[in-house]
Amino acid sequence: MAKFPSDEWVSEYERMINQSESYKEAGKTWEGDILFVVKPDSGEGEPNYIYLDLHHGECRSSRYVHPGEEPPKTQFRYIGKLGNWKKLMNGEIDPIQGILTGKFKLEGSMMKIMRYTKAAKVMVDTVSKVPTEF
Amino acid sequence: MWFFRSPEVVFGEDSLSFLSNLDRERFLIVTDRFLATTTLPGLLKESIGSNRQFMTFAGIGEEPNEDEILSSISDIREFNPEVVIGMGGGSAIDSAKIIYALNEREDLTPFDITPLEEIGLGKKSILVAVPTTSGTGSDCSWAAVFSGSKEKRKNEVASPEILPRYSILDPSMVLSLPPEQTRNTATDAITHAVEAYGSHWRNPYSDAMAEKSLELITGSLTEVIEDPTNVFHRGNVHVGASMAGMAFSNSQVGLAHALGHALGARFRIAHGKAVGLFLPSVVKFNYGAVKERYDRLNMIFPKKFRKESLDRTLTSYFLAIGQAVSVKSAGLDGNEYALLIDEMTDLAMESTGVLTNPADSDKGRLKEFFGEVI
Repeated sequence: MAKFPSDEWVSEYERMINQSESYKEAGKTWEGDILFVVKPDSGEGEPNYIYLDLHHGECRSSRYVHPGEEPPKTQFRYIGKLGNWKKLMNGEIDPIQGILTGKFKLEGSMMKIMRYTKAAKVMVDTVSKVPTEF
Repeated sequence: MWFFRSPEVVFGEDSLSFLSNLDRERFLIVTDRFLATTTLPGLLKESIGSNRQFMTFAGIGEEPNEDEILSSISDIREFNPEVVIGMGGGSAIDSAKIIYALNEREDLTPFDITPLEEIGLGKKSILVAVPTTSGTGSDCSWAAVFSGSKEKRKNEVASPEILPRYSILDPSMVLSLPPEQTRNTATDAITHAVEAYGSHWRNPYSDAMAEKSLELITGSLTEVIEDPTNVFHRGNVHVGASMAGMAFSNSQVGLAHALGHALGARFRIAHGKAVGLFLPSVVKFNYGAVKERYDRLNMIFPKKFRKESLDRTLTSYFLAIGQAVSVKSAGLDGNEYALLIDEMTDLAMESTGVLTNPADSDKGRLKEFFGEVI
């Protein structure tokens, strides 16, 4: 069981993404890094960041950005409060619906993301498979 | 949390006359090149009133691209319309949505139309849809599709701010719709209703629209095909198509649209014919995931067409109305089609229909669908 977010959780997530045949297929032409931004529910305090470098169906590298570290600049940022991340991970919200309802904010090209909705779904399905504690 | 979005709908005979009540002076009519040669633009202007100022932009073709849509944007900005009317099928109405947005915000490109942020439209003008086909649902949707100028793919942009303020469903605008287009567009509407009803994003509002739309369309379409001038049945199909548009635009479509869009990007084929081609196979594939729902829809079809399952009913219904159920009957070159299956499969994988379809699929399964309709 890995705490979300943490080094251990991110490492396990990367491992599972790279084991996923579905992701390999759905993301095979995707190029671009993404930052998951986990904001505190209260609106106070610093967000947590998870960096993923996704390229041609593979997660080339990933890391948990420790508190106090400057988050890297990425092509995409997917931003939401911890409570909404929990719902996403439990399958209560799907990633695109999350954007359309304002529970998540996407920074980056919506047009590009919309061509990879299957890859986004596999990424979220994989998140839910990581044994997680909050 | 979810939404149900819809324009204000004016429907029934003489509904065009509603436009004369608008306290606005300058009306832009966006339509396609073919419709511009018919009596419909004149009928529309007459209904609005001859004391208004009009500009007609009739530069829209069958598959408009960005350059085509924006070819007169400078003149349009100079005209400064207070009402932008999209009159036609999906291409004309979708083009009107983009023109409406870019007339208001000169700093935008079509690709800036996104649901991610407020665009700030509606300050100069309002958007009105006057559909002249019964099927695309564009009059009720907040998306616009246009072809790429360079790439052979269809782009979809979306924002709640490009949802038309009014949709005018006047049967007089569809009385002269040719049989082939009547069939194709109605098939598109049936596909909208069936896919919306099974979608992962379905909701009570979209369900209600999908059920009623199917009842109206299947209860009147064969009568319209027999007697195209029957105003009552034309009106039913017209309203049903709009309701199917409300259903899918509030819940999304599924794999039949993913596959149909991919086919349409590679072959010259009517959109309704393309999506209808795949609908029975997709429904059969989805049955286990939404059996109860599909069984309910099956009961809506008139008894004479109804079979033991929805996929079989759809095939029977499509055959009865003369809708293509195979690549061959759709008039496509089977050899060329076979050669392009891999390419079309890749395109279909990019569709959100893959995400919202009730049963999960992968690339291999999508490829099989293309094979099943040869």
